[in-house]
Parts: sequence; C-alpha cells; structure tokens
Amino acid sequence: MAAIPLRQFGRHEVRISALGFGGHHLGDAPDEGAAIRLVRQAVDGGVTFFDNCWEYHRGKTEDWMGAGLQGVRDRVFLMTKVCTHGRDKALALRMLDESLRRLRTDHLDLWQIHGVSCENDPDLFIRKNGAAEALEQAKKEGKVRFVGFTGHKDPAIHLKMLATDFPFDSVQMPLNPFDSQFHSFEQQVLPELKRRGIAALGMKPICGHGDPVQKGVLTGEEALRYAMSLPVTTTITGIDKPEALQQALKVAQGFAPLQPSAMQALRDRCRQYAADGRFELYKLSLKFDNPEARLAHRFPLDMQQVEVKEMLRMSDNSGHPYPPVK
Amino acid sequence: MLGATGLAARGQSGAEVPKRPLGRTGLQVSALGIGGYHLGSADSDADATQIVNEALDAGVNFFDNAWEYHKGLSEERLGRALKGKRDRAVVMTKVCTHGRDKNVAMRQLEESLTRLQTDRLDVWQIHEVIYENDPDLIFGPNGVAEALVQAKQQGKVRFVGFTGHKDPSIHLKMLSHNFPFDTVQMPLNCLDATFRSFETNVLPEVNRRGMAALGMKSLGGSGELVREGAVVVTMGLRYAMSLPVAVTISGIDSLDVLHQNLEVARDFQPLSAGQMQTVREAGRFDASDGHLELFKTTKKYDGDLGREMHGFPSAAELPI
Repeated sequence: MAAIPLRQFGRHEVRISALGFGGHHLGDAPDEGAAIRLVRQAVDGGVTFFDNCWEYHRGKTEDWMGAGLQGVRDRVFLMTKVCTHGRDKALALRMLDESLRRLRTDHLDLWQIHGVSCENDPDLFIRKNGAAEALEQAKKEGKVRFVGFTGHKDPAIHLKMLATDFPFDSVQMPLNPFDSQFHSFEQQVLPELKRRGIAALGMKPICGHGDPVQKGVLTGEEALRYAMSLPVTTTITGIDKPEALQQALKVAQGFAPLQPSAMQALRDRCRQYAADGRFELYKLSLKFDNPEARLAHRFPLDMQQVEVKEMLRMSDNSGHPYPPVK
Repeated sequence: MLGATGLAARGQSGAEVPKRPLGRTGLQVSALGIGGYHLGSADSDADATQIVNEALDAGVNFFDNAWEYHKGLSEERLGRALKGKRDRAVVMTKVCTHGRDKNVAMRQLEESLTRLQTDRLDVWQIHEVIYENDPDLIFGPNGVAEALVQAKQQGKVRFVGFTGHKDPSIHLKMLSHNFPFDTVQMPLNCLDATFRSFETNVLPEVNRRGMAALGMKSLGGSGELVREGAVVVTMGLRYAMSLPVAVTISGIDSLDVLHQNLEVARDFQPLSAGQMQTVREAGRFDASDGHLELFKTTKKYDGDLGREMHGFPSAAELPI
C-alpha cells in the first residue's frame, strides 16, 4: 500500500495528509459502530487530517469521530469549527468546550470559524467581543494549536476576511473544476493564501453531494484528482461509507498531481456547466447554509435540513423525566 | 396640472399620480406602475379588473407583466381589464426564453399579444436576466436580442428592455453589449442602497445612457422589509419612487394594497436628498447580510422555467 503524501501546513512545520476526512458525511453512516470503523480504516489508510464542526448533525458527528479516534488521537491532526456566525466570543468558547468533550480530547489541532458566507461576517468577526477574541484566547489557553476560517459562498468575502489581517493559519474553501471558472476561489483566493503563508484547505471536490458525477460530467475520481492537484495542503472529502473511503484512498495513496494540460482538459469539459453555477449551489442558494448561520443572520430555515429536524426533535416529549445519560 | 381626463380621473382622494418621461421614448408613464405577477395572485378575475380600472382612474398608466406569470393568467387578466381602454395604458410584458433562441421568443410574443388582446406592446423586455451566462446566451447567434430587433421592425413592439433581480454585475454585462435598450428594470429599495447595490452600480449607468429605469421590489418582493420592521410601507415606497426612475412597479393583489400605494403616489413629492440618506442609514444594518433581499441572496425569487433552462433544481426541490 502506497502512503498518502503528507504536505506542509502553511507556514508551520507540521505535515498533514493530502486527503482529509470530511466530518459532515460521517453523520450519514448507519450507526456509531459503522462510523467508528470508517474513522479507524481511514487512519490505517494514512489519513491524518480530520474535519468536523460543532453543528454537524447537532453534535453527532463530533461524538462519533471522537469515539473513532479514541486511542489514535495523537496520530491525527484534528480540526473542528465554531458556529458563531457573527455572534459573541462567549458563545464561541462554550461551543469549544462542547466540541472538546464530544471529540474526547483536551485540545484541537485546528479550530476554524464555520461558514463565513455573509458580506458582514468579517465585520462581526473582528469586533469587540467578537469570535476573533475567542480564537486568540483558545490559542493562549492551549486548547487549540492553530486557527482558521471556512466558507463556500463568495471569494470576495474570503478576501474581506483576509483583509482583517487576523493571523489565520488556514483557510478552507470549495475547490473543483467548476469553481475554477465561476466566482472562483481557485483564481482569487488561493494565490493570496500562498502569498500570506496560510494553509489552503480544499473542500467540495465533487461539489458537495456529487451532482456533476451523477449527471455524468466527470467521475468522482477525476474530480478528486483535480482538487488534490491544486496548491493546497489537503482536500477534504465527505466519507459516509466504506466504498467512498476506498475510492478516495485509491486516488490519494501514492498520489501524483495531474499535469497542467490534464487540469485544463477537465476545466474545459466543465466549462459550459460552470457558466451559470448549476453545480455550485453553495454559491447561489442557501442549500448548504446550516440553521445556525441562517438563524444568526435571520434567513429562513429549511425544514428538510437534517440539523433542523434534529433541533425540532430535541423538543419532542420523550416521556422520560430526565434526558438520556450518556 | 389637470387635463380634461385628469379632472375626470380624480377620485375621492384628489390628486393624480404624476407622470414622468419613459427615458427617450417620448412616452409619459405614471410614477407608480402595477406589477403583473400579483395581478395573477388577486382573489378573482373581477378583483384584478377592478384593480386595473381604479388604477387607471387614479392616473396610473404603466402595467407590467410577463409571459410566464401564473402560466398566462396575469396577461389574460390584464388583457380583459384593459378591453376598450388599451390606449390609456402603457403595456409592458416580458419574454421568457432563459437562454433559448429567437424563435421561442417570437412564439411567446404572439401568445402575449393574444392574451393581452392587443396588436402591439409598448415595451417588451427580456425577463429574469439573473444567471451569469445569460448575457452570452441573449447576444449569441439566433439569441433573443435578435427577436427584439425583429419585433420592433415588424411594429409588434415599440420599445425593448431587460429585467433581472440578482446582481448588478450581470446588468452591467448586459449594458456592455451596447444594445439599444429603451428600458432596464431592477430592484430598488432602501436596503439595496447599501448591499450589492443596483442604485449605486446600475442606475447611474442606465440614466447616463438615456434609458428609462424601472424600479421593482421596493419592499423586498413580498413585503420582507416591512414584515421584519426595516421600514414602514409608506416610507419604503416613497424612497423607491424618489430615485431617478421612470416608474416604480409595485405588486398589487388587492384593492386595499392599491389604495395604500395610491395614497403615497397621488401628488407624489420626492424625498429630499437628506431624507433619502437618513432612510439609507437607518437600513444599513438590516441590509448588511442580504437577509431581506432574498432575490439577491437565495433562489427564492428565481422562476421555475429559468431554473429548468439552466439546469437548476425546481422551487419545490430548492425553495431558497
């Protein structure tokens, strides 16, 4: 078995696997046991970067990932995200403690601001009592090693976050052949990160839920190869079942980047679909904006979203006098 | 300024809705226009007819519509209401090719004329230019821009334009083709002023080119600005009507709404520059994430036909 290449994390002498394990899809595994097995198999396969988020499946994916990483925590670089969406530092620090508890660890390797997708998020982030202060404090207290932010909406908002000159260690963004020619993070944000020595983390290599793969525009393998061939530290891909893990490992183990001509051929094939953003709904609709972001910014909720259903279920009358003891 | 018809049109509330020039067309249009989509949402055909008649009597002469509104019902209702009064109205409708070719456009034009019971439109606009590649498709070979030219030549439409609610940069891309549009329609309200702003980015350019600016979504499209307390109805409408536009198109689905809007529009006096600035500043915080201008930030206001032509999920599958 060839190893997954390790790449340097921005300006730091830390190396992480070129393939990252996406936390959201872990919540789609049939049960905790299956999730634990997926995490273990990924670690054994050479994946060292694990992505998660306070609000994914209302905590379930952090819980399951924490269970999966028990005993191997020190072999991985663990990231989760905080869901302030413009709200205060105190909320951020409460979320951090919950994340640490669920992930069964005393520190995160990386803590990122989740879902920076509104024009005013940068202003709300770097204000008195804003989440920026929480990142600084958590770092000082040793609860997190590095900090960053993520978002899938608009390169201009990413650039506005960078213009705050907050000392981010990493920035996460959607990177795929469609993005390369439509409101492009690849063109507008990647070069700026390189210039600043910030680790670039790619996500949505197959556009989130694989729409262009289902429509036959390109294969999952081609899409992942494209994303991993960009100048990024890692490419985070959603893993919900063993087949998805095996497919990703097949690309990542012994990975050699595509030639520029092959990259261009993929861009060309995707051009007509990239032109109106039909496969990048995260840029043009609220589909990928979770309820915490919508509530904080007073956008309408999507009652079909898994996290919304979880929130509603929390108010169900269980018939028991106390919540279940975990 | 009361002409003979003006005197007759005076209702119990007095003054008429003022008229303004429609760009360089030579037409005079009322500062308030009746939105066609909401005519289709009115409770009954009779209600729609009464809305149109009362509006005409108050001096409103600009009527908006689109081929795709309520599968033709909006055009049919307007056509019926204007029977015998067609010459008192400036009738606009929109063509809904969404990237398809000239022939589709010409077929839709014939259907619109039939439904509207007229042999000529005053204004024919390209509907819902909201996808990044729309300008390329519109001006591509055999695109809908050619249909606008042909329809004008054939005398089936007097003036042409386009409309969209998504992004000022797409409007500017349309204008950069230097096509002789007579009208350009866009969302204009007191929150737009400080968020992805058509007012700042598009309106001056449209006026510089001598085109008529048509404002819409003065209250957010479905009254979002009012419902969430960003502005009261009268001030929201006054702000939009005080901008350098020919007409502010307002969705009116009941007589109550018509009366409320006429209250503002009759004998309309624009806000002063200072008052405009106060309203903008008051809305700045609510504007700053776009949660009340959902037509810019979500899929909510994007029609199903356009979605289908561009390969997007339907409104049922992806409401916002």
